[in-house]
Amino acid sequence: MDIVFTAATVAYAGRTALQPLTLRLSERRIGVVGLNGSGKTTMARLINGLVKPTAGTVTVGGLDTVRDETAARGRTGFIFQNPQHQMILPILAEDIAFGLKNRGYGKAEIAERTEAILARFNISHLARRRVHELSGGETQLGAIASVLVTGPDLLILDEPTNQLDLRNRALIERTIAGLTEQVLVITHDLALLDDFERVLVFDAGRLAADGPPAEAVAAYRTIAAC
Amino acid sequence: MLNGLDIEGDSLLHRMPVRGKLALLFLTAILLFLTSDLRILVPALALSSGLYLSTRIGPGEAWRRVRFVLFTVLLVAAANYFLQSPLEGFATFCRLSTLVLIAAAVTATTGISAFMDEIARLLAPLERLGLVRAADVSLAVGLAIRFVPEILARYGEIVAAHKARGLPVRPLTLLVPLIILTLKDADMIAMAIDARGFRRH
Repeated sequence: MDIVFTAATVAYAGRTALQPLTLRLSERRIGVVGLNGSGKTTMARLINGLVKPTAGTVTVGGLDTVRDETAARGRTGFIFQNPQHQMILPILAEDIAFGLKNRGYGKAEIAERTEAILARFNISHLARRRVHELSGGETQLGAIASVLVTGPDLLILDEPTNQLDLRNRALIERTIAGLTEQVLVITHDLALLDDFERVLVFDAGRLAADGPPAEAVAAYRTIAAC
Repeated sequence: MLNGLDIEGDSLLHRMPVRGKLALLFLTAILLFLTSDLRILVPALALSSGLYLSTRIGPGEAWRRVRFVLFTVLLVAAANYFLQSPLEGFATFCRLSTLVLIAAAVTATTGISAFMDEIARLLAPLERLGLVRAADVSLAVGLAIRFVPEILARYGEIVAAHKARGLPVRPLTLLVPLIILTLKDADMIAMAIDARGFRRH
């Protein structure tokens, strides 16, 4: 799916969070890196309309994220830095089902799809668990399942391995590698990007580098060293 | 941390349909305000305590959940005691405490999802008249219930942080961070609701 930024700009209260950005993304694995406050989360939130451009446009699969907000959002899933924030209901299976119920699916189909997505991520045994009782890795998997159950084409993950121990980090890295959907990952975990097709580097609200992982990460290290 | 207030079990209230439980709460509220007779209100309070404990919640957790509300009830009852009459003070205490305990029992035996479904069903006629969006109202109620334990947990963390730094716990230094952090979380949750497409536009 093509994600197209055309001079997309975001400014808050006189401060420019994202300088005019013109970019086309169509790769299956896209990484985004940058220092804190460099504009990477703003850029990612533009894609599913959580942040609106103050100038320019963003389209996802040809849908404008402002004009066709609901349709565009239906094609993109978003996993927040703290996935606990996006679990609305306290039982994992109920939370997954809630997304489907809201889209008008019938009971039988909701049950079938919920079971299937739990099985896809090998977390069927967690179905009746309370989300606050899950480990960091399990919570991430649950959040990914609850978003992908509605069938978006693109999944955006904001620092998915943040605060995870080594075992859970490896689990999430394997999971991301195995996803069939297009993926855009914002991360400080540079090893996660090794197999990615394209990495964007943001600095002070602008795109500072764009290329294959080795090249982009080298540019990021130079920026970080300054 | 997210948590529900419901606890698993198979008590009478657990087996009762959500609509029946809401009707019980509604009718009890009306009946309790029709009388000030302590011969009715005291047994009602005893019954509601029994009903609450029959959910197998455990006395410690049961008390923890209602203590703040009961403290407020006590203040209201004390005001009635001194401003009206001792009898009215006792009656107010029994009436409001009974309601609090029945509401707590209903909350303890009803999952948020079931509660939201029932509210959406009950509001469907109003939605057909174009007066409300049933799904939005049920989501708001569900979030309100699910926020209660989260706010309590946040309160516990702030108290612990005070103790760790050797600071006295004062209402102002407790409430300001609690309100700010709660609003910050609420912003994130609102954004997550939008991201998952739960809210109709």
